[in-house]
Amino acid sequence: MSTPYYVPEESVPLPPVDADVISTACDYCIVACGYKVYRWPVRGGHNGGPMADQNAFGEDFPVNPLGPWIAPNQHNIVLHNGEPHHVVIIPDKDAEFVNPMGNSSIRGGAIAQKVYNPQTPTRDRLKSPMVRMFGVLMPVTWDFALDIAAEVGNYVLRKHGTNAYGVKTFSYGYMENTYAITKYALGNVNTANFTFHDTPSDVTSTPGFRDAGFDNFGPSYDDWAEADTLMMCGTDPYETKTILFTDHIMPAIQNGQKAIFMVPRRSTGTAFAEKNGGMVLDIQPGTDLPVVLAIARVIVENGWQDDEWIEKWVNNKWESSSGFGQGTRNTPWQWRTTWGKFQTKGFEDWKEWLLAQDYSVPEKAAEIAQIDVQKIYTAAEWMAKPKADGTRPKTSIMIEKGFYWSNNTGNTQAISALGIAVGAGGRPGQVIGRAGGHQRGGLRGGGYPRNKSPEKLPGRRRRAMDTDRYFMAGHTRLAHVIGTTWVQAMCGSQSLQAKFEEQTVRNPHQVMSFDKQEIIDTLKARADSGGTVVWDQDIYLVDPIGARYADIVFPASGWGEDTFTRANGERRLRLYPKFYDAPGEAKPDWWIIAQLSKKMGFEGFDWKNSNDVIEEGARHSRGSRKDFNMVLVAARREGKTLHEKLGEFGTNGIQGPVLMLEDGSLEGTKRLHDTTRKLPETGPSAGNMFNKKLTHFNTQTGKCNIQKAPWDLFSSYWEWLKPREGEIWISSGRINERWQSGYDDRRRPYIVQRWPENWIEIHPSVAEARGIESGDYVQVYSDRIPVQTDTIVGVEGSDFDFDSLLKNGHIELTKASITAVAIVTPAVKENLGYMDFLHTSQPANALSGRVVDWISGNYNYKMGVGMVRKMGESPYKSQFRSMSFARRDIA
Amino acid sequence: MSELDPKIVAAINGENGEAQKAGTRKCLMSRRQFLLTSGLTTTVVMVGIPGMSEAETPAVVSTYPRKFIAKLSDLKTDEPFDFEYPDEGQFAESILVKLGQKAGGGIGPDQDIVAFNYTCTHQGGPLQGTYQAADKALGPCPLHLTTFDLTRHGIFIAGQAYQSLPQVLLEVDGDDVYAVGMFGLIYGRFDNLQG
Repeated sequence: MSTPYYVPEESVPLPPVDADVISTACDYCIVACGYKVYRWPVRGGHNGGPMADQNAFGEDFPVNPLGPWIAPNQHNIVLHNGEPHHVVIIPDKDAEFVNPMGNSSIRGGAIAQKVYNPQTPTRDRLKSPMVRMFGVLMPVTWDFALDIAAEVGNYVLRKHGTNAYGVKTFSYGYMENTYAITKYALGNVNTANFTFHDTPSDVTSTPGFRDAGFDNFGPSYDDWAEADTLMMCGTDPYETKTILFTDHIMPAIQNGQKAIFMVPRRSTGTAFAEKNGGMVLDIQPGTDLPVVLAIARVIVENGWQDDEWIEKWVNNKWESSSGFGQGTRNTPWQWRTTWGKFQTKGFEDWKEWLLAQDYSVPEKAAEIAQIDVQKIYTAAEWMAKPKADGTRPKTSIMIEKGFYWSNNTGNTQAISALGIAVGAGGRPGQVIGRAGGHQRGGLRGGGYPRNKSPEKLPGRRRRAMDTDRYFMAGHTRLAHVIGTTWVQAMCGSQSLQAKFEEQTVRNPHQVMSFDKQEIIDTLKARADSGGTVVWDQDIYLVDPIGARYADIVFPASGWGEDTFTRANGERRLRLYPKFYDAPGEAKPDWWIIAQLSKKMGFEGFDWKNSNDVIEEGARHSRGSRKDFNMVLVAARREGKTLHEKLGEFGTNGIQGPVLMLEDGSLEGTKRLHDTTRKLPETGPSAGNMFNKKLTHFNTQTGKCNIQKAPWDLFSSYWEWLKPREGEIWISSGRINERWQSGYDDRRRPYIVQRWPENWIEIHPSVAEARGIESGDYVQVYSDRIPVQTDTIVGVEGSDFDFDSLLKNGHIELTKASITAVAIVTPAVKENLGYMDFLHTSQPANALSGRVVDWISGNYNYKMGVGMVRKMGESPYKSQFRSMSFARRDIA
Repeated sequence: MSELDPKIVAAINGENGEAQKAGTRKCLMSRRQFLLTSGLTTTVVMVGIPGMSEAETPAVVSTYPRKFIAKLSDLKTDEPFDFEYPDEGQFAESILVKLGQKAGGGIGPDQDIVAFNYTCTHQGGPLQGTYQAADKALGPCPLHLTTFDLTRHGIFIAGQAYQSLPQVLLEVDGDDVYAVGMFGLIYGRFDNLQG
């Protein structure tokens, strides 16, 4: 890779008055701020000038604060129709929503650095299909690569069955692509060996929300700002949803909103909140559940719960059991309730259960979590104590991965119940939802064949396949990997990598030929021998999945290189137009999938462009939170393409689900479960679909299920895992500067200068005991990383409990180690080491246990332990050029 | 001709001419190019890099004014001194501070005196009055909370700035501290010297 070396510039070219202006949105985090691309030819040297009538902004330079300033990082040179063009990409100063007045984070702010320019570190973009011959990835034509992929793919399906064909794909890489991928993998190949980039199984990320009836992304950004009290669990939105914090939550806190963070590490947003009267519940990893329940307990003991809301919107015994939509039969949650672990007969039953649990006693919860018990009482007051005039505080609850990737089922059940008790869920400023990670670019072109999955839990239903365990067992003969690292993104990543090594490069059947048929025969022989062949589809060559294991590499194109559609964290749908040429032969994923499908003999892939794909996919969005089918209806009426119609909404977009009013105009949906919304009295006329979630909750009755959240379903794992002599918790999370943008950040000199390697924040007490100072290289290692090994059929209720797995020999202890640069800071909990979540060369996931949450099938990525020892000094300790060891929580 | 702190040069150019090899540094010129374009009357700084032939040695060519800022003997640790540079125009306000610990680009006997532009390189927020003695930092910016590490060439500690805080290049002549150049584009401007 080329030198990602940051050199500060001292001038930047200005776009001329006649520059092309293209509205788009950021490629990175869930917030998806509006951006404008200014594009003009390099040829002729026709740049803009500093006077208002000389540049595309119509502004005199220097511009004022918040003005359309161009940092040198916001300029680049691209090919457009084969000709070099300048591009300046800055947040849209005319935006009305999301990032009003054109604010941005460092990530999106520097998005111009992501576009392909061979003079920059992006020069290693994949530019042609490649096939590995003689151990080397060699450039080939699309036909050569696709012929091999199609014949070997069909062979594996016929010879080894559909589940031998594994597909591991991004879930967010624009609806045009995800529709094509799922139509292929689920609709046509129909494999159960399928999942997304962030989970071993295709399951819900937030089981408690699903059971309660909450959509993950119901709230609007205005709601977070309108709350009197905002509880944020497992995230600092300043670091990971920057504009949601700086432009919505931060002004609210300045105006008196009470902010409660539940995180084990302080950062910029928590520091700001504490300075402005907020609080941090600084729990140790995995102990969210008792604290949440303790807050709920204080509330119900004081009678502060929202009785009126509960009376109207909480299911009683018969209601929570009713129907086949989300009752006890034939639903994803059915087996969970079979054993009575979660389901209640309504609020009073839940309250009775809550008061009977010792871990919900504030003092006990505070002891488990190692926090000041007074904070639990204060949080309860802020969230639910009626004001002097008798009115209730408007309380909202936001959760994210630090929370739901610690005790996935338990935490999400507990927080749902607390949310219901305080009346959060369906009113302005009173909402509950996820803050979000990546943008929402999923569109299903096929259903998951659950009954083909070997996973069988106690109860009557199957659960989606754990594709990592299936791979570890040697069943995956063809791994088709699309836009994800697979290995580093999963838990216990070093033992997963060892298995990949064994299945691919250490298999005796290696391609030692340049002849297409001989290559095909060799790869078939590898699959037959029990090995795995790998297709990798990505924008860069990823190590190791592409660089070391892939037999075929398909070069993909991305943001700005084709026209795409996607939604953000408040379901705001926007068009992301093509504005420059993709490098070399790189093609969008939908195109790659379509060509492969056609060669394999599947029908329905004759799309000419990305608009064809989304127009076909539009009807599959019906009933989803992104429902945009009526945009297509409107487009057709007006003689436009769907992309043209979506483009008319510019950076403001339109929030799904989209309805069409009687006059033919389109109306978006500000929030889901909006109990204050009046739908048109004419009903769902024409093509309109009035999904229940518009005005009610996602349950059979449309009311919420208030559920139990037993700590003991998780505590056996937590007790076994918690740090022993010499160990500390090893957890991970996102860092503002490289979050949802890591694949580009390795090529952005300024970010590489800030974060050249993985790092670990440790508390001064831990550091001192080990002789570690900021800037030292440390080894973070463990010899007890639990890995769940077998696919078993559950019979008894506790078969999947960690203690049972351990007793029955289904847990193997593995070793792993990574190197990090130490940052000594009191910002972390005393017994916690905090690392960057996905530094691909030294992934923190190597140290997190590969044991799925046994109720949901998700990994609890945040749960790991390990030892830390000093190796020596890193160059950053004494150089001034890279990194900074100053505190990140300066207020 | 004035001497540049070789550490600053290393920070800017890369320790083995990395920046030049990467081809990203516009104002680097080879000595040959420089000689061909001589006739400039402004400050010129030549930087030798060991192991490179003379004709390839890059030079930082600066057209910045040389401006007297303060007396070395007047500076006290953690007591910032404000000045304007490179002109008196918008966003020229800058901070000079003796950090009391060695810093990238630091001058003086303890290499701890540094200077930076005061305008946040995110959205132009004013950083005046935000010097944090305990952390040797500027910030948080009142607009969006960015903080900058003054010991490390103004790199952001946390936050949203699109680049490091522009560092004012200093030199010492006896007891006099002069500003002689800048690294990084000042917020609001498209060119440091043209506004």
